[in-house]
Amino acid sequence: MEKKFGVYLCKGCGIEEAIDIERLSTIATKDMKMSLCRIHSALCAPEGIQLIKDDIKEGVNTIVIGACSPRVKFEEFDFPGTITERVNIREFVAWSQHPKTDDTQSLASDYLIMGIVRVQKGEPPEPNILEDLSNTLLVVGGGITGMTSALEAANAGYKIVLVEKEPQLGGFVNKLYKKIPTGEFKEPLIVDTDIDKMIKEVEIHPNIQVYKSAKVSKTDGQPGLYDVTISSNGNSETIKIGAIVLATGWKPYDANKLDHLGYGRFKNVVTNIEFEEIARKNNGKILRPTDRKEAKKVAFILCAGQRDPNHLPYCSAMCCTNSLKQAKYVRQNPDSVAMILYKDIRTPGRLEYYYSEAQNDPGVMLTKAEVTGVTNAGNGNLYVEMENSFFGEKVKVEADLVVLAIGMVPSTREPQEYLDGLTAASAKGDEAKKAYLDSTPAPEFILNLSYRQGPEIPSLEGAYGFADSNFICFQYETRRTGIYSAGAVKQPMNIAESQEDAAGAAFKAIQCIDHISKGIAMHPRAWDTTFPDVYLLRCTACKRCTEECPFGAIDEDEKGIPYYKINRCRRCGTCMGSCPERIVSFKDYSVDIIGSMIKSIDVPEEEFRIVSFVCENDAYPALDTAGINRKTIDSSVRFISLRCLGGMNLVWVADALSKGIDGVLLIGCKFGENYQCHFVKGSELADYRFGKVGETLDRLRLEAERVKMLQVSINEYDKLPEMINEFVEKVKEIGHNPFKGL
Amino acid sequence: MSEQIITPDLGFVKDIIASGGDSVKKCYQCAACTVVCNVTPDSKPFPRKEMIYAQWGLKDKLINNPDIWLCHNCNDCTKYCPRGARPGDIFSAMRRKFIEDNSIPSLMGKVVTQTKMTLLALAIPFILFLAVLGITSHLRIPEGDIVYSKFFPILYIEIIFISAVSLAGIVYLASLVRFWNNMRKSNSQSFSKGFIPALIETLAEFLKHSRFGKCGPNADRRIPHLLVFFAFIGLAITTIWVTYYYYVPKVNTPIPLTDPMKWLANISASALLIGGALLMINRTKNKGFISKSSSFDWTFAIIIMLLCITGILTELIRLAGISTLAYPIYFIHLIFVFYTIVFFPYSKLAHMGYRSLAITYSKMTDRDISA
Amino acid sequence: MSEQKGVLVIGGGMSGLTTAIEIAEAGYNAFIVERNPYLGGRVAQLNKYFWKLCPPTCGLEIQFKRIRNNDRIKLFTLAEVEDIKGEEGNFDVTIKVKPRYVNDKCVGCDACAQACPSYRDNEFNYGMNKTKAAYLPFDQAFPFQYVVDTQHCPEDCKKPCLDACKYDAIDFNMKTDALNLNVGAIVMATGWNLYDAKKIDNLSFGNIQNVITNMMMERISAPNGPTNGKIIRPSDGKEVKKIAFVQCAGSRDDNHLPYCSYICCLASLKQATYVREQYPESKVQIFYIDLRTPGLYENRFLSKIKADTNVTLTKGKVAKVSEDSETKDVIIEAEDVQGGRKIKERFDMVVLAAGMVPSTKDSKALKDVSYTPEGFVDTSTKKGVYAVGTLKSPVDVAMSVRDATGAALKGIQSLKR
Repeated sequence: MEKKFGVYLCKGCGIEEAIDIERLSTIATKDMKMSLCRIHSALCAPEGIQLIKDDIKEGVNTIVIGACSPRVKFEEFDFPGTITERVNIREFVAWSQHPKTDDTQSLASDYLIMGIVRVQKGEPPEPNILEDLSNTLLVVGGGITGMTSALEAANAGYKIVLVEKEPQLGGFVNKLYKKIPTGEFKEPLIVDTDIDKMIKEVEIHPNIQVYKSAKVSKTDGQPGLYDVTISSNGNSETIKIGAIVLATGWKPYDANKLDHLGYGRFKNVVTNIEFEEIARKNNGKILRPTDRKEAKKVAFILCAGQRDPNHLPYCSAMCCTNSLKQAKYVRQNPDSVAMILYKDIRTPGRLEYYYSEAQNDPGVMLTKAEVTGVTNAGNGNLYVEMENSFFGEKVKVEADLVVLAIGMVPSTREPQEYLDGLTAASAKGDEAKKAYLDSTPAPEFILNLSYRQGPEIPSLEGAYGFADSNFICFQYETRRTGIYSAGAVKQPMNIAESQEDAAGAAFKAIQCIDHISKGIAMHPRAWDTTFPDVYLLRCTACKRCTEECPFGAIDEDEKGIPYYKINRCRRCGTCMGSCPERIVSFKDYSVDIIGSMIKSIDVPEEEFRIVSFVCENDAYPALDTAGINRKTIDSSVRFISLRCLGGMNLVWVADALSKGIDGVLLIGCKFGENYQCHFVKGSELADYRFGKVGETLDRLRLEAERVKMLQVSINEYDKLPEMINEFVEKVKEIGHNPFKGL
Repeated sequence: MSEQIITPDLGFVKDIIASGGDSVKKCYQCAACTVVCNVTPDSKPFPRKEMIYAQWGLKDKLINNPDIWLCHNCNDCTKYCPRGARPGDIFSAMRRKFIEDNSIPSLMGKVVTQTKMTLLALAIPFILFLAVLGITSHLRIPEGDIVYSKFFPILYIEIIFISAVSLAGIVYLASLVRFWNNMRKSNSQSFSKGFIPALIETLAEFLKHSRFGKCGPNADRRIPHLLVFFAFIGLAITTIWVTYYYYVPKVNTPIPLTDPMKWLANISASALLIGGALLMINRTKNKGFISKSSSFDWTFAIIIMLLCITGILTELIRLAGISTLAYPIYFIHLIFVFYTIVFFPYSKLAHMGYRSLAITYSKMTDRDISA
Repeated sequence: MSEQKGVLVIGGGMSGLTTAIEIAEAGYNAFIVERNPYLGGRVAQLNKYFWKLCPPTCGLEIQFKRIRNNDRIKLFTLAEVEDIKGEEGNFDVTIKVKPRYVNDKCVGCDACAQACPSYRDNEFNYGMNKTKAAYLPFDQAFPFQYVVDTQHCPEDCKKPCLDACKYDAIDFNMKTDALNLNVGAIVMATGWNLYDAKKIDNLSFGNIQNVITNMMMERISAPNGPTNGKIIRPSDGKEVKKIAFVQCAGSRDDNHLPYCSYICCLASLKQATYVREQYPESKVQIFYIDLRTPGLYENRFLSKIKADTNVTLTKGKVAKVSEDSETKDVIIEAEDVQGGRKIKERFDMVVLAAGMVPSTKDSKALKDVSYTPEGFVDTSTKKGVYAVGTLKSPVDVAMSVRDATGAALKGIQSLKR
């Protein structure tokens, strides 16, 4: 495309009062040699828009608009088929600077120049659409969640391959004697699961192909182009798959570790899962293991090995309701008593009705208690000892059967722990790694991804193996694009919640298929058709990009040369930031573009200049809001927004400092356990990389305090100007960069 | 082993439910009840803890529990209970259950406390009176002026009632002693005050009925209950007074209306009628909660009202001179009198003694509230 | 926008936004009808989300960015659904759009608000402060466009507003507009309202100044709230160094809301961190029946708060609240169940963890679907209509988002049938 430039400057909203627009226009036309620069009193008004549209008709296709923030007036300034750059001289200049000063003027002029440089260097994106894409979804796990995902997607017209490792579908629900009703929580409080009906519906659905006694032995490729190998009864078959729902559910916590609660020591101490089996086998009659006598005094110990730092520190969210349900099993015999010993009864939302109904039964006894142990009471009976119950300090109850409400362990935990161990061992060297591999039996993997970053969805630290990404607003955010977890493998959930989640995950898988067919990224840049372009000739196989990509989008060949699986890519630019050779570029976003923008900043000898790289998702809006609140920010700072701070390349710091810029400030999202980065690891990686900036500074013999990273939330706009100004003050204290003017 | 064993008793839970405590299982131990209760002590307050005992059927923790009797059935707890567990009702039910179980002989407890046996209970005086009058050939309407002693000679009445009431008094005392001893045994607390001073304090408090005044939505009950309380005292005095008249100055019934004894009798009867009626109306009013009285309560209330009405009618019809009506009404009145004063250890009236002891005990153990 | 039929999403809170945006990003049309002049609903009023302690505006910003970049979403603010006729695949919907009195020419420069002489109660801050009659709902509002509340802008107020605007953006001649849409499916996502805590007479909200609700606490703690994020009490602006949280204020209560409102335990734990962070020496006491923090992160959060020795968690429902008329301190009565004692404690301020009422309790705009006595919706009786999030049962944001994403698939199923 041959670029024909048009620069448009707005005088409205106080811009005219703060900046000499004519002088700015001169910068564009004279210094930057733009052939066309128009000024309007309110560019977003219909007349202003018409002005631009008229020029577009005349061939203008590369537009720089010096007006308000790109976060507003987006409908007005939307010119399809053009490259449009919004230069924010309203919020960043007119609303946050002292009007009509030289500093304000030069700030506006730098922003305008940087905007012009950006469009000069940038190119319009063209989507990269791969061929032979598959529309089929793979659902791994044939329990209630997996079957729901399969049915929901199949009913929207998609083809499904459903893989279940057991010989029959149904998963955990198969083990249940009864379930709680789905509609109103009124008697009868225990109803048939009807899982058979659902299994049948799945098995006869024309859009669903079911593989039983099967497992995924290999998942190769990328969204739209997965080659999934399914092994079943010694045969294996490779199927083209578009996207994947991971619904492999959970396993009960290993009750053998709960010997303080009597498990293993007494046969009449059973788990909640075993209790279902007891009830199911005897059609509701509760016959205890030792003597097959009917148990008439059943104690339920809730949170068995849960909310317990020695076992599962979390709450499985379903056991309270489930235990109330199981108490009703006991109460099918009107002479029997069920004793529920709880830490807190957790029946949130409308489940409270279930609690209230189930409790309103003469034979269902509840007390808060901290169970301290289970001891022998003779004749197969047991004492459950407790403290802090409603009955006083230390009491015990006698039961003829004890049920432990044990918690959920995600099916992904075992592989995750094995892999974590492997990573830790590998860090200690090859020998430790070999020792680990020799001594540790490999668990059964679930997806067997042939990804450079490992065979499974990575679990977050402190997430105990759950395949979740710890976003609140974006529950289907995943670090393996195209693979969406659902149900109890993601977070502790009950049946109803799992089914809702199953529909959501199926939807995201469908949406993914749609996006890759159009060559656009998945969330959170679901409009972006750019993609990383790599100049491999200069690659040194340092592997930083393949290691750092938060989404595992880059594999390596035998020589360690990166190999992009573009459909896995989310366009955050982390690889671009990580690359010391500066060979990763997007059409409108590259090391060169940003570097050129930095170089275009005017650095007068007597003035201080600071470059600040800001995340466009949070820091930028926070700066905007600071402007809306008319908070003043030191005029020496030039903000450059990045897709994610993970895209920050250290070379820019060197560029800036060697040009005489006095300081570099990074403003990114908070990271750590409760990270806020929309690309999971971006700001953390920027910080990690920034940690190595010392080398550059040493080389240039500059003070370490000239560079700093701030972690801010979007709502910290009230504090942010102060934080920035403080940094500027610090830099001013250090003094001018000696490279200035060289 | 030092720990106490908690043994749930399904049967006792069902008993409480059957005694009018059908909401007992709804409690989820939030403790709102103890907070809104104005007559509970700050330390180990009721009714929350009794609710969990009741839910598990822990009879031992309930029957000798003085707190059951400290409750004045204000029902603030019931009004603010978030689950509709109605602690007030549960406490009523447990008191009824206690009266029944602590009765001597226990058969009498069942006969009087269980509504379905009420007719049987009434049949006892009915048959007794019929037999006495039949054997002594008094079973007829006497001629001439209406003088009730012509129909039912005072001597017979004295013999029957004095012996029956004495017997009842003795068994009631025995029940109270048993209650006291059990209470002491199962709540091993040290005393900070002697029994007699505490009891005197308690009785002085009764004269003012100050605890009833502490009830929130149900504070209106103080005056009616006070009326009924003093009415019974007045009627008791009257009864003694008339006996005195009969034996000492040898004044025969009917006593003239001008006599101070008659004044007291008539004022007491009116107080009982008004107080009783107000209490019954109160029960049906919505005070933020609707009182759900057990049939035990209603039976007793109706009998007291009938006692009162037949008493007043006895006097009015006598004055009107309708002898065919007067004597049967008098006969019926005597049945209710018998029920009220002879069965009192088994009826709702039994609470007087138990509550006095419980409050006395609470004063002795420093669990009193500032009344 | 193409001619293909889309999905109507009623409500532009986190649930509605999620459904609509997801549908649009899957290549179908979505219409958002929002009653307020801004999007974001209840979460826009929150200072932080629980357990993660991140600001909801972070997620909203991404949602708004997705809307900016997707022309399949059509947005109506100040709009309500008036009537719906038809069946799955072919619903005729009438929408009533109330006048904003500010048109699209608004640039958000604040000149009208500065010139406007009249004030109105700021309902975004639960009436704790006032805005001008010409106002921006809040500083990160989307759309970034002012509104004039003409009920509080009499004739003599209109002229200064009008004159101040250099962009012809104020238009007092705007009228209520009715418009019709034909859609294939409908997703109800109108969220929840806070239970009116005045109805809980024994907790004295409305009678005692320093007893506030949990949503008011969010606003007080938010940088863009009535106190600019400084946690001070209403009566005298004193810093709140000793605060109590009263759980189940209305929830789990047959006299009020018989269900559990799900979010309140976590919300109070979260608000405890607001106070603890702002005043390091402060003391917090939370009175509860059961601590409901089900799940992985949720329970981790509870453990973290429990580790703070300045936070006391007391099992025992508060049932009496009174005021020291001199100091305006609030006195709370509860039974410390585990201590076996009735306690009376004095606090600078008390927060009632008031519960959720589904918006459909009061406004049952949609016929043909069934409602429980508490106002929850069951849409199984009407094909092509789906309810999400808190309309079905109290849930938190995460669950609403999952449900709303699932509803996007159901909406598409309806379009395809």
